Amino acid sequence: MTKQVVEEQNELKQKIDKLLEKKEKYREMGGQKYIDAQHEKNKLTARERINLLLDEGSFKEMGILAHHQNLHPTMEGKFTPADGVVAGRGTIDGREVCVAAHDYTVLAGAIGKVAETKVARVREWSLKNRVPMIWLVDSAGVRVQESIGSLFAGNGRQFFDQVQMSGVVPLICALMGPGIAGTAYLPALADFVPMVKKTSYMALGGPHLVRSVVGEDVDEQTLGGSRVHTQESGVADLEVKSDEECLKVIKKYLSYFPSNNEQKPPIKEGVERAEITINERLAEIVPTNPKKIYNMYDVIKELSDDNDILAMKPKWAKNIITAFGRVGGYPVGFIANQPMHLGGALDGDAADKAARFMNICDSFNIPLVFLQDIPGFIVGSKVEKAGIIRHGAKMLHMVSEATVPKITIIIRKAYGAGYFVMNGRQFDPDYIAAWPTAEISVMGAEGASSILYHKQIRKAEDSKAAWSEYADQFRNLIDVEVAASNMLIDDVIDPRETKLQIFDAVASAWNKKVERPWKKNSIRPV
Amino acid sequence: MKIEVTSQMTGNVWKVVVAKGEQVEEDQEILILESMKMEIPVVSPDDGTIIELKVEEGDFVSEGDVIAILEED
Repeated sequence: MTKQVVEEQNELKQKIDKLLEKKEKYREMGGQKYIDAQHEKNKLTARERINLLLDEGSFKEMGILAHHQNLHPTMEGKFTPADGVVAGRGTIDGREVCVAAHDYTVLAGAIGKVAETKVARVREWSLKNRVPMIWLVDSAGVRVQESIGSLFAGNGRQFFDQVQMSGVVPLICALMGPGIAGTAYLPALADFVPMVKKTSYMALGGPHLVRSVVGEDVDEQTLGGSRVHTQESGVADLEVKSDEECLKVIKKYLSYFPSNNEQKPPIKEGVERAEITINERLAEIVPTNPKKIYNMYDVIKELSDDNDILAMKPKWAKNIITAFGRVGGYPVGFIANQPMHLGGALDGDAADKAARFMNICDSFNIPLVFLQDIPGFIVGSKVEKAGIIRHGAKMLHMVSEATVPKITIIIRKAYGAGYFVMNGRQFDPDYIAAWPTAEISVMGAEGASSILYHKQIRKAEDSKAAWSEYADQFRNLIDVEVAASNMLIDDVIDPRETKLQIFDAVASAWNKKVERPWKKNSIRPV
Repeated sequence: MKIEVTSQMTGNVWKVVVAKGEQVEEDQEILILESMKMEIPVVSPDDGTIIELKVEEGDFVSEGDVIAILEED
């Protein structure tokens, strides 16, 4: 080799060493001090989270050499390895996904211009390749130094992109630390939002801003902690106890989903029809005394393989249950009334929750199973002022739009418009059956008799006794076999066989195809 | 953190299930209301201790009334 070639080779080797050294340095993120601080708060770092989320060794990072390029004096000398966001692709249970995780150890995970370009690159990959997108949020929001003044005019593209991706690929946004200001719209536009208890919070304005703008003195957790968003606002879907649990639940959520809207969700192998046997428990859960209530979760668990389900928004609008599960290996979305809360009657929040869940299942070809025990919608001036009509309409709209297999089982009450929105006979169920305990009716006997016989009741000597008598008469007209003999439902079934009935219906309707007249959009009630 | 446990609906307190000072888990029954011709439980929103019970059996409660105070664990 000539001297010149040797020199050139050495030069290249030095360049490679320098590059590798730089990458190693960038992999260390904000440095040990900040990593320790992160751990002290019971939080994992962005890299630790990604390693736990993805299949071992599958992570392919994009943009590790990113660094802020800002010339503003406030950014001078700031070291921002990977520009504070770890992003790339990998696999979960062998299926491709894209992921972007804010790195709180670098300037509190605040999002700079370069970081945003990186995440945009990963979003693009997710949409082009039709694979799920996962955000792990732990960020103080936009890096204000980089959006000073009216440069802000160029911000916000991530939300536009997210809407284009919505319904094409599953969008998951986990809150694993702060998600303030614009960052709070990432979860709002995502399909699934788990929040880690005590360490995460989200708010359009953080405590500082709130104090200075509206004068309210409020701490982070009271303003937008997991309790607020999983129990009161309904923005988040699930409160989890730790980072580890959060990452586990993301994997579980995705296991029910296809990679995109053009695929069917994965059917779990190894479950045989013959294994779905008569289940005595189902006949024991629901009490015959109508005064006694029961926990609908017990019914759903008996219907789902291994008694295993994943409930969405379980602590918000508890009067309705929305949960993923599997019936004989087929993934399904259960929508069920919960008699334990408000007697299972629907209010605005419950209607919102159910409509959204139907929307998600329908977008990703997951069959819907409705379990009815519904006394109807709540009535009165309070709910009217809160707009129960437009909220209830969302359910009507969505149940009519959904083209996935739709199965309805009427367990006990099926009253009024509640029966409609829970996929009643006229809303195209592929299969609708009732238990012998079912009561399908325009309304309960007491309410109906007071309307039908109000004159007679008023004129009666003992109006209370008269009302009770008319109610009994009306109750005798509520008979599920009348509905069956008029062919208004497909069957009255043995409750113990419910799982088999659902399985057979889902399996037969799995390749269901419904075509509707072309339109640009429905006008959806909001 | 102190959490106010409220009644979701209007009804009569049929049975108080827990005592003041009792440790409860999330979703554990605190009391049972009689409402809409059904016995409907009010459950704890979180793990914690019942530091105050605001109602007795037979009381009438309206929607939104505070029925107990929970000190969160």
